[in-house]
Amino acid sequence: MTSTIPPGADAPPVEAAGRYFNGASARPHQVCLRLDGRFRVTGPGVARDWNPLDLRAADSMPPLMRVGPAHEPERVEFSDDALAAALAARCPDLHRRDEAGGVLRLVLWSVAAGLSVLLVAILGVPHLARLLVPLVPETVEARLGATVEPQVLRLLGSPPACTEASGRAALARLVARLAAAGQADGASPSDLAVSVRRQGTANAFALPGARVILLSGLIERAKAPDEVAAVLAHELGHVSARDPTRSLIRASGTSFLLSLILGDLTGSTMIVAIGQALLSAGYSREAERAADAHAVGLMARAGGNGAALADVLERISSDDDRRGTLDLLRTHPLTAERAAAIRALAGPEAPGRQILSAEDWAALKGICGPSP
Amino acid sequence: MDVETGRRAPHDAAVTFDPRLNGLTWLALKGALLSLVTFGIYRFWYVTDIRRFFWSRTAVDGSPAEYTGTGKELFLGFLVALAILVPVYLGLFALSFAAPALAPFSVVISFVTLFLLGQYAIYRGRRYRAMRTLWRGIRLGQDGSGLAYAARAGAWWLLVFLTFGVAFPFMRASLERYRINHTLVGTSRMTSTARGRSVLGPWLLFYVVALGPLIWLGLALLAAADFSLPTDLLVPRPGGKPGETILNPAYAGSNIGLIANTLLFATAVCIPAALLLIPFYRARETRAFMRAARLGGVRLASSLRARDFYWPYIVYGLSLLGIFLALGFVTGVMVFAAQNAGVSVIHWIVILAYLVGLPLFAVLYVRLVQARLWAAVATSTVVVNPEELAAVLASSRGAGSGLQEGLADALDVGGALQIGL
Repeated sequence: MTSTIPPGADAPPVEAAGRYFNGASARPHQVCLRLDGRFRVTGPGVARDWNPLDLRAADSMPPLMRVGPAHEPERVEFSDDALAAALAARCPDLHRRDEAGGVLRLVLWSVAAGLSVLLVAILGVPHLARLLVPLVPETVEARLGATVEPQVLRLLGSPPACTEASGRAALARLVARLAAAGQADGASPSDLAVSVRRQGTANAFALPGARVILLSGLIERAKAPDEVAAVLAHELGHVSARDPTRSLIRASGTSFLLSLILGDLTGSTMIVAIGQALLSAGYSREAERAADAHAVGLMARAGGNGAALADVLERISSDDDRRGTLDLLRTHPLTAERAAAIRALAGPEAPGRQILSAEDWAALKGICGPSP
Repeated sequence: MDVETGRRAPHDAAVTFDPRLNGLTWLALKGALLSLVTFGIYRFWYVTDIRRFFWSRTAVDGSPAEYTGTGKELFLGFLVALAILVPVYLGLFALSFAAPALAPFSVVISFVTLFLLGQYAIYRGRRYRAMRTLWRGIRLGQDGSGLAYAARAGAWWLLVFLTFGVAFPFMRASLERYRINHTLVGTSRMTSTARGRSVLGPWLLFYVVALGPLIWLGLALLAAADFSLPTDLLVPRPGGKPGETILNPAYAGSNIGLIANTLLFATAVCIPAALLLIPFYRARETRAFMRAARLGGVRLASSLRARDFYWPYIVYGLSLLGIFLALGFVTGVMVFAAQNAGVSVIHWIVILAYLVGLPLFAVLYVRLVQARLWAAVATSTVVVNPEELAAVLASSRGAGSGLQEGLADALDVGGALQIGL
């Protein structure tokens, strides 16, 4: 029966008065506490004899102290500094918590888990989106487009649609020519819907379900019909590569992952905000380059000037860049090499061609009616 | 201690809360910083530490409560909740595509689903906290069903909407009765006689402050216009967006114009003023519900004053103001210095402000708001007939599943600290 002898067992005994609770009832029992080699609790109808090594203290504010054997519901409460000090000296495990400790391990593992989720969000989700896009049926994509379009329009400040009849007819002829040119490589979507909205920003958007929105600011600033047509052809390039759907899947997947894992109360919200902003900043450079090439090819087959894409992008970039966050160049950053690549693809004789007649171009310019 | 303690009958027992908050600053600071580093995962351990802190400083009849929950349980519960929530979220997301006819209602469907799930989660979270609370070695508990609670809450909220909010105090009282009547201390069941009528007055004060002057001015406007409002009182703002209107300048000098202007001004003042009544209502409600709680022959008496609920928020608001002023000053100095040096520092300022501000706000919120509200409720409460507490017997049921609070955390309902279990 000789187990380990507690430290300080030979020290003088310490006594104090306290209250004993047997764990079965809330009735307090006035008891006398005595710590020598053992911890003895005695009073009317109570006689306990505990090994100090088994004692654990529950949280309490000094001078109140609360101890009991580990994993037992019995408790003793007392307010006596001498006994508290003696217990602290003789019970090495007094404040041991089964779950305490390991904060460093916790931190390292959660940092690792967080980095892994971030990597999945940054690298895995775009790749997954690329794999998933061919699996999305056209009908679902059309529905996606119908859901997304009102939201995008709301972000743009709900600009009104431009419906001047002659302008719409000119636009329809332009779209038909580009679509016919696209039919040659068999990549033109069946239900292409191009709309013009009255908005001062010079930009165009491709949405899922072959929806393209042109903002009237672009038509205003274009000097030739080929410039509008080239931007339209560029967006059609995104449409035929199904970039909008891919980007939608990627953005929702990433934000879903990040917000769900990081949850609330984290203080990591700023990291999420930065991450989402980074991740949703337009298409990748490769996607832009592919759309450029598509646009130039389309324009050439439709009998237009593909190099006009470089012209209009350069004009907008040389204009004041106080235009705000929705500018074409925010989503389609222009670099000198990109412009050079567009011109090289278009060839030297491209600038001589024009895609629309002068009457049609005038009609397209007036699609939004007289400016307010 | 305070006046109330001196006045209570000799055989009443006080509920005490140790006002020395030693160690709380460090706890909150550590929790905020580690949560930041660990992408928020440390919050489960932080919440556990905070609860242990508050529980162990709150004593009923001289014996402090004991919190036995662990961070690991909360974390596992959160992971399990994710397993439930991810399919729910995906299902809600897919619903608008699978059934286009439902698309216009998808926001409503999501809201109702997540609201009911949230109520269910709140009840389960409360069960977890009750079952991890010991007093004198006796475990608290909660029976009843989370689904029944969620159904009640859903039906009551519907009624609240249908009655323009008048049913709100009755809903609060009904849900409080459900919660308390299913709360157990050992084998003894708590009961509540909370009545909506008892807090109807403070609740109607919202209407008096927010709507009273508006209705009165509206009637005055009608009277001034001989009970036929001119149709051209509001005209579109010249050059403004569609839907933007201003008062017709033609009425500027008349009584009608004066009253209409006062009405617009009163709208801008009364609605925010009504928001300032929230702590008052909360204090009245807490007091009424505390007084309605029973445990056998034991009952609680509460002398909670509304100003005890205002002070924490006022002090917290003033400290925030001070911090923002200091931050603004530092930012101004740094921007000025940077402009002279010709470098852009704005990103660094934002990051610095975030790293300094976040832990600071966490500490201030815990110390100034949570601790003080908790202390206000605890120290204003007295246990009447505490000798009957001796009759409470421990129950033989186990501590229950440790996974029950995860859903509440994942849904962001129910805070780290619920004042009044």
